[in-house]
Amino acid sequence: MIEGVRFGLTAVFLLGGLAVLATGVRGLYRFRFALNRIHAASMCDTLGLLGLLVGLSISAGDGWVVLKFALTMVFLWIASPTASHLIARLEATTIYHLDRNMEVLEK
Amino acid sequence: MHDAYHALYTVVLIALSLMTLLCLERAVRGPSIASRINAINMICTLTLSMICVLTLMLSEGYLADVALIYAMVSFLAVVVLCKVYMGVALDQQEKEGKKE
Repeated sequence: MIEGVRFGLTAVFLLGGLAVLATGVRGLYRFRFALNRIHAASMCDTLGLLGLLVGLSISAGDGWVVLKFALTMVFLWIASPTASHLIARLEATTIYHLDRNMEVLEK
Repeated sequence: MHDAYHALYTVVLIALSLMTLLCLERAVRGPSIASRINAINMICTLTLSMICVLTLMLSEGYLADVALIYAMVSFLAVVVLCKVYMGVALDQQEKEGKKE
């Protein structure tokens, strides 16, 4: 009984994480501009991976593995927004027609 | 129960590898440098989740350490690539400014 509930929770979280990741990949195809794509990709990094790791932590028996997953998640929550910020700054520097993509207040 | 977990992990792995292939196509075709780096970052995230699934599928605890290191290395790669291309772009803009 307990095992069944555990398996069900694992499946729900894993498939939920997969759905978020699939939404992010779909966003990469749907959006035309890099600044829009960053939004889709960073959602994957935070919410999609969180769903997957919570699902895996429920099914993991070993406490150390859960701790390492939590550490990975905390590191990614810090690192992924930083990486997105750097990519956005690179795009704003290298793009040719910034005002064609969006409304630019001041240059 | 073990078989059920194995089947679930296999389904998740297949879905993740399909998404990685789609992201790879996006990285090859992406028009600007930033969208290519963005797609590469996404591939790193998907690979990280594959390693995490394999940790439990093969029940090898040390693969969780590999996942942690992989997260750090992929973040470092994005930072270095952004810095390098930023320098290249700034140099180019400076040259164009001098020509005019």
